Amino acid sequence: MKYFSEMMSSKGRTLLQPFLFTTKNRFFPKNKVPFRTLGILVFSLTVCLVLYQIVVKVVTYFHSQNELGIILSLKIFQMAWITMFAMLVFSCMVSAVSTLFLSQDNEIIFAAPVTNSEIFFMRYVTTSIYTSWMMVVFSIPIFAGYGAVFEAGIMYWPLMLLAILTTAAVATTFGMGLTVLLVNLFPAKRTKDIILYLSICFGIFIYIIFRLLRPEDLVNPDKYGHFIDYLSSLATPAAPYIPAAWASNMLSYYLLDREIDFLLAGLLIVTPIALFFLGEWAMESWFLSGVTKSQESFGGYRRFFSRVKYRCSSMQWIFRKEAKLFLRDSAEWSQLFMIAALVVVYLYNFKVLPVDRSMFAEEYVINLISFLNIGLTGFVVASLAARFVYPSIGAEGGSFYIIMSSPLSAGRYILHKYLFYVLPFTALALILLAVSNRLLNIEGPMWWISIVTGLVITWTVLAMALGFGAIYADFKAENRAAALGGMGAILFLFTAIAFEMAIIFLGGSPVYRVMRGWLRNDVMPTNDLLTLVGWALSSIALSLFLALFFVRTGIKKLETSGL
Amino acid sequence: MVKRTNTINKTLSAAQVTGHILVIDNLTKKFGRFTAVDNISLKVQRGEIFGFLGPNGAGKTTTIKMIAGLLKPDNGQIFINDHNLAQEPRQCKQETGYIPDRPYLFEKLTGFEFLQFIASLYDLEPEAFARNTNHYLKLFDLENWQHHLIESYSHGMRQKLIISSIFMLEPPLIVVDEPMVGLDPKSARIVKELFRRHAATGASIFLSTHSLEIAEELCDRIGIILNGGLRVLGNLQDLQREARLEHSDLEEIFLELTGAYELQDVIAALRSE
Repeated sequence: MKYFSEMMSSKGRTLLQPFLFTTKNRFFPKNKVPFRTLGILVFSLTVCLVLYQIVVKVVTYFHSQNELGIILSLKIFQMAWITMFAMLVFSCMVSAVSTLFLSQDNEIIFAAPVTNSEIFFMRYVTTSIYTSWMMVVFSIPIFAGYGAVFEAGIMYWPLMLLAILTTAAVATTFGMGLTVLLVNLFPAKRTKDIILYLSICFGIFIYIIFRLLRPEDLVNPDKYGHFIDYLSSLATPAAPYIPAAWASNMLSYYLLDREIDFLLAGLLIVTPIALFFLGEWAMESWFLSGVTKSQESFGGYRRFFSRVKYRCSSMQWIFRKEAKLFLRDSAEWSQLFMIAALVVVYLYNFKVLPVDRSMFAEEYVINLISFLNIGLTGFVVASLAARFVYPSIGAEGGSFYIIMSSPLSAGRYILHKYLFYVLPFTALALILLAVSNRLLNIEGPMWWISIVTGLVITWTVLAMALGFGAIYADFKAENRAAALGGMGAILFLFTAIAFEMAIIFLGGSPVYRVMRGWLRNDVMPTNDLLTLVGWALSSIALSLFLALFFVRTGIKKLETSGL
Repeated sequence: MVKRTNTINKTLSAAQVTGHILVIDNLTKKFGRFTAVDNISLKVQRGEIFGFLGPNGAGKTTTIKMIAGLLKPDNGQIFINDHNLAQEPRQCKQETGYIPDRPYLFEKLTGFEFLQFIASLYDLEPEAFARNTNHYLKLFDLENWQHHLIESYSHGMRQKLIISSIFMLEPPLIVVDEPMVGLDPKSARIVKELFRRHAATGASIFLSTHSLEIAEELCDRIGIILNGGLRVLGNLQDLQREARLEHSDLEEIFLELTGAYELQDVIAALRSE
């Protein structure tokens, strides 16, 4: 206690001031509660309520089945705790490398007369809040849902809050300590890369395993026979050395027997404090050598040979620059694994689709799914465009002056960017559409409708992403991912999805008529064909209009707003 | 209607423009209610090194950004090598090399790749590229670093790389904002020599700097900007006459013309402490 009061003495408070003032100015500028803050609050509360309702419904459904349902729901409870813990450890480590070793204010703080333990305390508080607030806030309704369905006693609520806060504290103290140790072994940038790969692999692993387990079968009583074996293996107690399992076991025990396991509660309280002091000791021992290493460049010792001979082609060099910047930035190219996992799971869904159990004729259902799949592919394309294409102009950062002061016009620059991104996105859309059509055994006009409409949507969405990216370019964003939370990215996503829905909605009737004729008689009546052509032409006109409108507005913005 | 009349009145004839590499005519830029650049007019001759001086926040960088095509003026015109920047931006930018004060570069490219990228943006011929890159990389001791990522370069190395990339293009006009920041004495000397040699070939340098020694040593003419407006323009003798400080150096003249004479009181107060 004395330690913490010392930490909160003048130096400790001073170090926390930038964080406190930044947070205050961000959410309560001029000591008022602005509309934006209220909006965030209402949105968060709505998400919490929706999450709570979903959890209550799902867990109630499990309980309505039989005893197996209760065990299963508690297993999912345990998985949720372990997943939350692992995600927190990884995200805390990624953040801790940046905050402890690569932060922009480090030069001011390290040069000031403050001790390593004071720096550790300040970085611990800020990193923990940054990385765990969202997980803490959104896990409350999930675990509260369990409490409601199990009709837990009054002690469940303080126990739940204690478990959430201490598990988050264990994860962040563990992550911080491990980061200090790792940076002592590898330079900070490389450590960040290693943690990033590990967390992405973990994310992909969880994502694929969860999908391959086919959770939809859990609510299908016919499949329960298969699950008994699976459950018997799951029924074994969770690993006792994982702190998240302590929280889960303590709460499960209380939910089932209304008794508190004080050993587990004690462990949850003592562990983060012990880990904090271990982390501080690691900081005292290795921090300086870690900081020294962090100033080494990742590529400083490496030589890269450019084998291609120089040719004066700005397009070729915009392509090469984009490709090199992407492939040499581990935060960017490692996302390709995530996309590969997304594609695999996306297509796997079509493989296991229970079309044979449908109450309608199978050929109608598969054609309907194929048609709706155009929108789904469009949604995937729009999300990936928001992540990679939309921020690509702002990602030029301070170097954008090089482009703007060169003879290359803003229009040609955007055109080169468009051509660079159109190839991989076309390939992705084609893979998603063609393979899912193949898995659904789609033939005839629907195959062509799906491919052509999917490509028109993809090409338009890409142009819109660049247009919005130019209009809302943030040349000061730290990385591409940071731009995702901005107003421009959200507006782009809404506009792109609205456009896709308009195309799909308007095409529903003409496509249905043509397909009905083709499926019944193998012919397509001229009237229906003409309506289809009308829809196709109006879709192309709308696409061209939107693409040109947003790109032109973007070009104008780049040319007039300056840097 | 009024706006249109203004535009017509301010359109310069070809005769007024010819003979000068850079002509700035009634240039104005406002940010909200703040006037950063207020009705500036000046001309830079071919083969001239023109110094652009002024205190912090006077409007130097805003003017330079407008010349480099990075900011759109609210009023006025810029002609580069007889081309109107607003009407022929591509042609103007082709003939202008811009060296900024902060060396932002593409961190994940190597120095050599960066030079290739710049050369391709300006359509530099492969022969000129091969000849000039080797020369400038060697001159600035960057030869051994050319295949390393820019993220591993020091501030000075980045500045030298940008300077190399612009000299490699051999543009008729170089616009440069604080060229010596971060350079070691050897490199600073090389840059000064390069400016002189470039001007000797008939090309021009528009140089903004806070270093009055460099301005005095290099510049044929000097313009001093104050609160967005051009306070004085001419060679050192013209400036001495304007400041009524015959036989004084540029520092004295600058302080006098920019109203920094109160500095004397501050210095006196500091010394008496």
